[in-house]
Amino acid sequence: MKKITTGLSILLTTLALNAGAAEVTLLNVSYDPTRELYQDYNAAFAKYWKAKTGDTVTVKQSHGGSGKQARAIVDGLEADVATLALAYDVDQLSEKGKLIPKDWQKRLQHNSSPYTSTIVFLVRKGNPKKIKDWDDIVKPGVAVITPNPKTSGGARWNYLAAWAYALKKSNNDEAKAKEFVTQLYKNAPVLDTGARGATTTFVERGIGDVLLAWENEAFLAKKELGPDKVEIVVPSLSIVAEPPVTVVDKVVDKHKTRAVSEAYLSYLYSEEGQTIAAQNYYRPTLESVAKKYDSQFPKINLVKIDEVFGGWQAAQKKHFNDGGIFDQIYGK
Amino acid sequence: MKFKTKHIITLLVSAGVFAASGSALANDSDELEKLRALVQELDQKVRVLDRKNELAEEAAATKKKETPIVNASEKGFGFKSADGAFEIKLKGLIQADYRYFNQGFGGTGINTTNTPAADGFLLRRIRPTIEGTVFDKYDFRFTPEFGENKTTSNSGIVDAYVDARFTPWFQIRAGKFKPYVGLERLQSGADIKFVERSYVTNALLPNRDVGASIHGDVLDGKLTYALGVFNGVADGGDATTSADSNQDKDYAARIFTTPFKDDANVLSGLGFGIATTYGDVKGTAASTNLTSGYKTDGQQNFFQYAGTTIADGKRLRFAPQAYYYYGPFGVIAEYARVSQEINTAANAGHKTVDHDAWQIAGSYLITGEDASFKGVKPKNAFDLDNGGWGAWELVARYSELNLDEDTFKNAANTAFATTYASRITSATSASSWTAGVNWYLNPEVKLALDYEQTSFEAGGGGTATNPIDRKDERAVLGRFQIAF
Repeated sequence: MKKITTGLSILLTTLALNAGAAEVTLLNVSYDPTRELYQDYNAAFAKYWKAKTGDTVTVKQSHGGSGKQARAIVDGLEADVATLALAYDVDQLSEKGKLIPKDWQKRLQHNSSPYTSTIVFLVRKGNPKKIKDWDDIVKPGVAVITPNPKTSGGARWNYLAAWAYALKKSNNDEAKAKEFVTQLYKNAPVLDTGARGATTTFVERGIGDVLLAWENEAFLAKKELGPDKVEIVVPSLSIVAEPPVTVVDKVVDKHKTRAVSEAYLSYLYSEEGQTIAAQNYYRPTLESVAKKYDSQFPKINLVKIDEVFGGWQAAQKKHFNDGGIFDQIYGK
Repeated sequence: MKFKTKHIITLLVSAGVFAASGSALANDSDELEKLRALVQELDQKVRVLDRKNELAEEAAATKKKETPIVNASEKGFGFKSADGAFEIKLKGLIQADYRYFNQGFGGTGINTTNTPAADGFLLRRIRPTIEGTVFDKYDFRFTPEFGENKTTSNSGIVDAYVDARFTPWFQIRAGKFKPYVGLERLQSGADIKFVERSYVTNALLPNRDVGASIHGDVLDGKLTYALGVFNGVADGGDATTSADSNQDKDYAARIFTTPFKDDANVLSGLGFGIATTYGDVKGTAASTNLTSGYKTDGQQNFFQYAGTTIADGKRLRFAPQAYYYYGPFGVIAEYARVSQEINTAANAGHKTVDHDAWQIAGSYLITGEDASFKGVKPKNAFDLDNGGWGAWELVARYSELNLDEDTFKNAANTAFATTYASRITSATSASSWTAGVNWYLNPEVKLALDYEQTSFEAGGGGTATNPIDRKDERAVLGRFQIAF
């Protein structure tokens, strides 16, 4: 009798648990080179969430140029979370889409950027053009591969890193910085729409002498192709790239996925989330994990966008909006 | 492009090799280096051109996904957004008819002239239609009428409605439209098998009404339902778009099932259901709220209430209905009964009259196309150059309308009289045989030729107690139609 009672209790408990369990699907709309990061992270989060709540969560991924992805969300792509390349693109979800509050960046630590990255050079084995720093890539005869800043977040970081270097070198002479960046884009034979496309151009199509790349993208390319194909060159100065994340409030409220979406982003800051980021060559913000992976990342003199450009809004308006400096130099 | 690239590079490398050989002979390593650099430079230029082409193709493919789609084909005319959420369709229906009467009563309204109705051409339906969708779920349709019906409907608007498809099982339609009642009525005017619909449809059941319906499909589309509330129209009536002249509303309900629609067997084309309408209708001498008359296939009135007879209470209709399609064969069967309370404007006496009608119609596509409730798509369009003959269909129908004898009696129903309707001028029943052939030149163009013969009881003169039967109507009805 006792066995029967115990058996029934187990059965009822199991039924009760199963009855309460739900299946949830989220859409993470991200920028180009985060495919591998979120493949790993989604699996880890699903396991964590299942253990915590009993719910099964499936996270779908969408990748493309950051600016393009932001426009897609504003135009109706129902992203539960957006993990884009730069804050300006996320701002568009607030300004143009009215999908998130204006102060979205204050909702999570480190201005809602759970990991950072920077811009480095990827060159062919043996570095045949002897590229060491920014000055080398504006020399005549050097072909530079970088995506289009109009559509790609990574490309805007590339541009701003080059501009910051030129400013420092010329003691903040804007005209010289403009001349420097103009020369850089004269050396760019083709502009892809996103960072992954630019990597394809450089690596698979064999075009160009140097790829201006996200640090994580450069590491990944080196890992996949092998050190006998490409080398990473670290410039003397680069920029801290802070890819931010946010829940898309109007969508999560509509889908009733706010709790799981917020947990999904919070877990990026956890020990496990940070470790996965580091393993995918993103610089972790959690000190314990950053220390552990310290040797993996080269030491670079890094500037911040707020310090040099006055933040993303100012940088966007001056350089990348229609009629901005990029249009002036690339139209030449 | 890659083929060209390889050839250019091969040529250049070969040139380099030959040049290098020459240079080696001359010990001129500088020359060799220059040629190698040149080859590399050209190789890069070709690769860049290749990649630019590739990116241009990707951009074009992306743009295509966002570019509105314009359609001008046998599927119709229109345009829609790339995701299909917004769409406009331009449709049209033109029916040019010819009616030839060999025998029958002619003239307008109820008449006793013993001469056939006038032969002649007429434009039965001229209906341009704008149909569309906004935000994926909200459809609309607007159809004005410029044909014969314009004069009978008191309104140039045939359809004007909005349909919200919230889910397949819960949709709302509001405006002026066909109430979900009669089966043959719900078949498009372009798809009907005969030049004119049967008595069930044209005489007793509502044509179009102004109101709102909740409707939808359940059980994987095997059961459709509809519930509606309308201003209410008289038998065979087409509502005007103006305000309701009668404060009470009509209610309509219908269920229809196609239980085997997903099966691949002999019953997959079977559908059946039942519909009903109910209303409480009061008429006045100025607006009787009764039918203006029942008509033959040749559109000749053979029954009309007396001018002083008015609707005076409940009107209940019910209509069981079915169709069956199997290969080229099709059949549609429908019955309708209307129970109507009437009186005279001077209150001669209140009574209830029950009229009923039924039809059974068969069709057979001799060119082998599949028959269906919707139109016919010929296997081969008519084409003199390439030898196509379109689709040919034979059709036949029997249809009957029987009026309640009490309609023609006095208030106490004790003797025949002309108080409510006259047997001298109005027939008490009509029975019609119709046979015809339809030639579908292509999915949009159709030629139809019907012969119909209608026999009547009473309505051909005499007296109220001893009426004479009206002469049979024999008519040939022809139609040339384009519907897109």
